[in-house]
Amino acid sequence: MNYLLHILIMINIYAILTLSLNIVVGYSGLLSLCQAAFYGIGAYITTLLMMKAGMAFLPAMGLAIIGVILLSYLIALPSLRLKGDYFVLATLGFQIIIFVILYNWVSVTRGPYGIPGIPNPEIFGLTINNLPGYFIFSLILALICGFLMSLLLHSPFGRALKTVREDELAAAALGKNVPRLKTQAFVIGAAFAAVPGALFAMYFRYIDPTSFTLMESIFILSIIIIGGTGNIKGPIAGSIFLVLLPEVLRFLQIPDAIAANMRQIIYGLTLVVLLQHRPQGLFGEYRFE
Amino acid sequence: MLSQLFANGIVSGCLYALMALGFVLIYNTTRIFHIAHGAVFTASAYIFYFFLIVLHVSAWLALLLTLFLAAGIGMAIEHFVYQPLERKNSSLLIALLSSLGLYTVIVNLIAMFFGNETKVLRPGIEKTYQFGDIILTRIQILEVVAFVILFPLIMFVLKATFWGKAVRAVRDNQQLAMVMGIRIHQIRYSVFALGSALAAVAAMLQSLDVGMDPHVGMPILLVAAVAVIIGGVGTFHGAVLGAFLIAILQSLVIWKISARWIDAVTFTLLIIFLVFRPEGILGKRKRVEEALAQ
Repeated sequence: MNYLLHILIMINIYAILTLSLNIVVGYSGLLSLCQAAFYGIGAYITTLLMMKAGMAFLPAMGLAIIGVILLSYLIALPSLRLKGDYFVLATLGFQIIIFVILYNWVSVTRGPYGIPGIPNPEIFGLTINNLPGYFIFSLILALICGFLMSLLLHSPFGRALKTVREDELAAAALGKNVPRLKTQAFVIGAAFAAVPGALFAMYFRYIDPTSFTLMESIFILSIIIIGGTGNIKGPIAGSIFLVLLPEVLRFLQIPDAIAANMRQIIYGLTLVVLLQHRPQGLFGEYRFE
Repeated sequence: MLSQLFANGIVSGCLYALMALGFVLIYNTTRIFHIAHGAVFTASAYIFYFFLIVLHVSAWLALLLTLFLAAGIGMAIEHFVYQPLERKNSSLLIALLSSLGLYTVIVNLIAMFFGNETKVLRPGIEKTYQFGDIILTRIQILEVVAFVILFPLIMFVLKATFWGKAVRAVRDNQQLAMVMGIRIHQIRYSVFALGSALAAVAAMLQSLDVGMDPHVGMPILLVAAVAVIIGGVGTFHGAVLGAFLIAILQSLVIWKISARWIDAVTFTLLIIFLVFRPEGILGKRKRVEEALAQ
């Protein structure tokens, strides 16, 4: 039962994370490789505010979201002027810069030592300190985020984004402010990534920079390409695939020493094969043109 | 002290330049952001290790076999992944994503067979040579020699041979090159072979110097990619210039700040260039029509 709850909590965390990247990749057609950086900054700000300033969980997460919004806006300003490979490379650059800062700014982040002993979150007087509690907590956050995102993406704003994704010139001709829409999508996607970051820190009660590397960004991107982008169900399917695959390998009695590599190989191969035959992913609506 | 730092910068610049040259050959001809080039680098290092340490083949034979196998891997990637995408008219971003997937597959295959720990080719201390107040190891000198031989050779081939002209023609305008009767697919295969062999040279030299683990490919690939952008996409020698610039900047950072901030400085440089001079040092600023025509 505990095992099942753990898996469900992981699916909730990754569902919010992939859905947040979906706003950037699936709705705006921007291949961003710094989502793990926003995820990590969300985790760090929440944790530091709770442990150093003694704040409660919700206000700490709120401030983390605001912090990520500011940071992502600063990143969006130069990056969004670039196209294609250059945009990918710029976001990759910011991902590495943020990782290096998290890793080396030891006086604040404790760098490679990580931050242990993160307190249990307390919400409206309830302390969450067991697995069922964490499951309900993560499920509620996932539902709230999912609901907000689906509202947003089915609004005129979401449709405008889709127009920009399909044809920038046509969108501009219709009077849409293309750079502003892209910036908004990038920043909103980043803001939502702070939530699973906070959740991750609360659940594991320990964070270090190695959870928020470039490989993690690549990984999240692969997962939503595999699941499919441009709607809500694709990224969720991707997250379920991502969390369940290692468990399936465990049941197949594959030795631990090679299981991690095996898993990566399966993700990579799935990505390469899908892009050849079904570039929109398993359940996606959007394919890169 | 300063001259030693400068010398170290030049030496690592030679390695970066070899890698960047391979990357830019492929990038200029195919426009594919070939991230799996980093995996070719890693694979070459391990192939060399396998022949030299596991099979006890002589060094020269191991070198030749590694070069050929690396070229083979490059051509196989083109044949099985990029070419089918090209035939389907997929976008270059799809090729980039496929390349990321390939990188993951190859690197994890290597880790599965050889393990995650660092492997060294030559235990013990390298023989050193002193020039004035600069001290270099034998392998560092070898790195410089490899670059000094290969770079002019490749530039000459690109300038003077028919093949080189064809490569430059494909770079400038693929459709027009096709109309002129250049066999694009052959050119692409040959460029992947040569580019991958260059990665293999860099890989063998670096693994002789500092050993290898399955993740060595990504950092050097990223430096190469940054070097290409900084130097100027569309040129070949720009990549080399960019590589030396980054290498010297890195050794300054090690001296003045700390080795831990190297990556941050490299990528800050990249972002400064992307924002203020996206065409790079030697690149030409394109008119809008020209940019659209490609």
